Amino acid sequence: MTDAAAAAADATAASPKGRSLFEATEIHKQFGGIQAVRGATMEVEEGSITALIGPNGAGKTTFFNLITGFYRPDRGKAVFDGREIQSRPPYVIARMGMVRTFQITKALAAMPVIDNMMLAAPDQPGERFTNIVFRPLGWRKREAEVHEQAIELLDVFNLAKLAEEYAGTLSGGQRKLLELARALMAQPRFLLLDEPMAGINPTLGRRLLDHMQRLRSEDGVTFLFIEHDMEVVMNHSDRVIVMAEGQVIADGEPHEVRSDKAVIDAYLGGGGGTATGAGAS
Amino acid sequence: MTDPTQIFQLALTFEAFTDIQFWTSVGIIAGIFVIFATGLQLNVGFTGIQNFGQVGFMAIGAYTMAILTAESGWNFWLSLPVAIAAAIAFGLIIGLPSLRLRADYFAIVTIAAAEAIRIVALNARDLTNGPQGVFGFADSWNSVSDSIEEFIVDLGWTDVPSQFPLFLVTWGLAIGLMFAFSRMTRTPWGRVLRAVREDEDAARALGKNAFSYKLQSLALAATTGAIAGFLFALNLKFVVPDEFQPLVTFTGYAVLILGGLANYWGVALGSIVLWSVLEGLRFLELPLSETKIAALRFMILGFVLIGLMAFRPQGFFGNRKEMVLGD
Amino acid sequence: MEAGTFSGAQVRTLGERFAAALGRFNEAPFVVRAGVGIALLDLVLVLADRRPDSVFEWLLLAAIIAASTAATVPLARRPAAVAAVVLVNILAILILFHGLHDVSQRGLNGLSLGAIYALGAVGLTLVYGILKLVNFAHGDFLTFGAYMAYLVNVTWDLPLVFAIAFAIAATALLGIGFEKTMWAPMRKRGAGMLQLLLMALGLAFVIRYSIQFIWGTELRQLDVNNTSSVEFLDLRIGRTQLTVIVVGFAALLATGLMLRLTLLGKRMRALSDDIDLAETSGINTSRVILYTWLFAAGLAGLAGVFAGAITQLQPELGFELLLPIFAAVVLGGIGNAFGALAAGIVLGVVIEMSTFIVAPGLKLAIGFLILIVVLIIRPQGIFGQARTV
Repeated sequence: MTDAAAAAADATAASPKGRSLFEATEIHKQFGGIQAVRGATMEVEEGSITALIGPNGAGKTTFFNLITGFYRPDRGKAVFDGREIQSRPPYVIARMGMVRTFQITKALAAMPVIDNMMLAAPDQPGERFTNIVFRPLGWRKREAEVHEQAIELLDVFNLAKLAEEYAGTLSGGQRKLLELARALMAQPRFLLLDEPMAGINPTLGRRLLDHMQRLRSEDGVTFLFIEHDMEVVMNHSDRVIVMAEGQVIADGEPHEVRSDKAVIDAYLGGGGGTATGAGAS
Repeated sequence: MTDPTQIFQLALTFEAFTDIQFWTSVGIIAGIFVIFATGLQLNVGFTGIQNFGQVGFMAIGAYTMAILTAESGWNFWLSLPVAIAAAIAFGLIIGLPSLRLRADYFAIVTIAAAEAIRIVALNARDLTNGPQGVFGFADSWNSVSDSIEEFIVDLGWTDVPSQFPLFLVTWGLAIGLMFAFSRMTRTPWGRVLRAVREDEDAARALGKNAFSYKLQSLALAATTGAIAGFLFALNLKFVVPDEFQPLVTFTGYAVLILGGLANYWGVALGSIVLWSVLEGLRFLELPLSETKIAALRFMILGFVLIGLMAFRPQGFFGNRKEMVLGD
Repeated sequence: MEAGTFSGAQVRTLGERFAAALGRFNEAPFVVRAGVGIALLDLVLVLADRRPDSVFEWLLLAAIIAASTAATVPLARRPAAVAAVVLVNILAILILFHGLHDVSQRGLNGLSLGAIYALGAVGLTLVYGILKLVNFAHGDFLTFGAYMAYLVNVTWDLPLVFAIAFAIAATALLGIGFEKTMWAPMRKRGAGMLQLLLMALGLAFVIRYSIQFIWGTELRQLDVNNTSSVEFLDLRIGRTQLTVIVVGFAALLATGLMLRLTLLGKRMRALSDDIDLAETSGINTSRVILYTWLFAAGLAGLAGVFAGAITQLQPELGFELLLPIFAAVVLGGIGNAFGALAAGIVLGVVIEMSTFIVAPGLKLAIGFLILIVVLIIRPQGIFGQARTV
């Protein structure tokens, strides 16, 4: 466990439950004439596992893009760990410890799996040009460390034997795992997963969830994930936030949300996806 | 593009192919293009940015050296770092606003920028002497060249072709740069470049400042362009705007593709093969006028490009898996 | 290693600081940004040209800047309208300093160039949707058209009308030929963008240097009357140039109407905008593709004849025009035929106007400068649409 993560875990244990790690306030975004996100407001507790659900077109992925710097909100504020992030570029937000994955996996296909993993590690002196020119030996130690960490992590996901393969040769499910493993290499404090279970068989999915729980309890990592699989949402998250038509319409514990009338209406009335089964893509 | 006085001495027959003078000339221009293409390789093959303005950097390198040496009396070795700095500065000026554009717009902007340099060179008579160009900087190089020649003669080889010292310097630099660049790409820094090439957003989501890396890549390409321009000027012994047309960048791409993107040693082979063919065509005994032969050379270049793209986009040594072309 | 620490020295490089300042500027209200932009542009123009002579001129200048800025207030969401205001602003300043007559004269000269750019740009932008790249060989279609006209007009000594018709037809056939032999098969194989781009480059060489092989590099002339000129409204224009303007604009009008009103035109536009979407909506894409090439190449041939008529023929003719044509395509938003049309005409006029400030040899460089500046302000071009992640 890293120092900062230990501190975070301590903080969660010591202070009263509910230390807010992330807050979004009145986020708005319009594309052309369409309001994709209108006034989304939510709060995520440190050390929690929160699910973000909603019918298709609700603006969930757009919201992810907005709070991780890929889009600029027209209005609104996003605060991570006490710092405003709504106008920061994605790489800065990632370095702050808020890492996201993508709905359509972005495995770096023409690079080996191990390179995909090692890329994500933070604090690599070998990534600075001045270092590789003027201190050609200085970065090798960290590189070896990172390599070891990467293999360990790949092992957890049973991908270690594929380390030298090009990521483009992996199956869909394997790519999802790689994406998750890679995000974890970045030593995030807050991990935003966009449909992590899509396309993964149940056994693997179970393993993934177990790992998430472990990361939360041992390392204090906070999770926010978009999911359509209601079984996963109801049984494995602490809180559920529901979005529909660009707004947050419900926010509470799984059983509360499940019986919330507004939520049921949104799923039945709006487009695609049901409150009980797997949603359409 | 080779020194016209050399060609005049050769007979227009196949004999040329056994003449060491011919191979020295081909070697020089091939070596210059290796250096030129090394920067392109980093841009296109490793970073995924389509720099079509490389000749602009070459022009800046050549003109800076020529102007400083001929008109301000600088030592031409000293002018090299200045030439490189000027090219990098131009690269940053162009890169800062345009690297965030989509790939095809960036390609157009870079061609336009390189053409703008040529147009300015053509018109800024006070600085660059317009279409007549700059010359007279060869003297300082000649003394260096002579001393290298003396050194070789001392080693035992008496019949040194003229321009051989330039051949040595060119290939020395070319090999050095190829070595340096291939080492650079095998570092974590190189890994980030590749990630930027594969998927910029993924790289950003993992904490990498993709823009900064693209800028660095462009600056490095500017460096190799400037060095190529420096040597090009020494080879030609004069610098005119007409030598810096987009055609040069396109030829550089042909070299790159022949050798296979993402492989530095392939670039060397690609350059040697291409220039042997292009220059060799000058000496074939064809009943055609000079212009027609020149036209034929470039038609062949065109067919080579089309053929490669259609049938073997990875060139000689390209890595199929890392292929940037055709997926 | 600490997880996710954010060091306060994050904004360390100069570049990042500049980007941050720019970011803050971007968040200012639109009027402020427009005002600053216009004021800066006008000051640069003025300094490059000549300083105002009198207080009166300074006041007029200030009035023009203020009026332009005010005019942009209701136009925050209409980039094309803002561009139009900026143009009027520039014209106003030039008229202030050089008088209506000179400005009109150069504007008129610029129209012939603009017509050529527009004809080339419309075709190029339509083809973009098919090839997913800007066709490097397009410029050489222009050259081909010019030399085909030469063949008919000079070598076979037939009237120019036949030459134009032949040039259009021949170039159209060339375009269709390459589509069938090269582009369609490559598309089938799923060729990547860079691959196609380099292929287009190779094709450009083959066309250009075949022309050089056959006709050599010496300058040639079409059999047109390049000396006499026409006068109206105290403005003078060469006879050939006037013909180019009239016929060129007629062709552009016809093309515009075709694109807008006919079913084929709508389909061509749909394809050019988003070919995958067009295909899924059931359009017979291969048919429309052929027609698109027919038009694009035909227009290019016509543009080439015009270019050859008002200047001279040499193998580099088309390629020299290609870059400003690219610029027009980009400014108009790739895939947007009307945008390319407008941008082509405007670019021609503006490039000609720039001769007030710089030597004539540099006017193309000014064109490129405009391209870069516009892309800095609006990376998707004036009429283009922003891409989303």
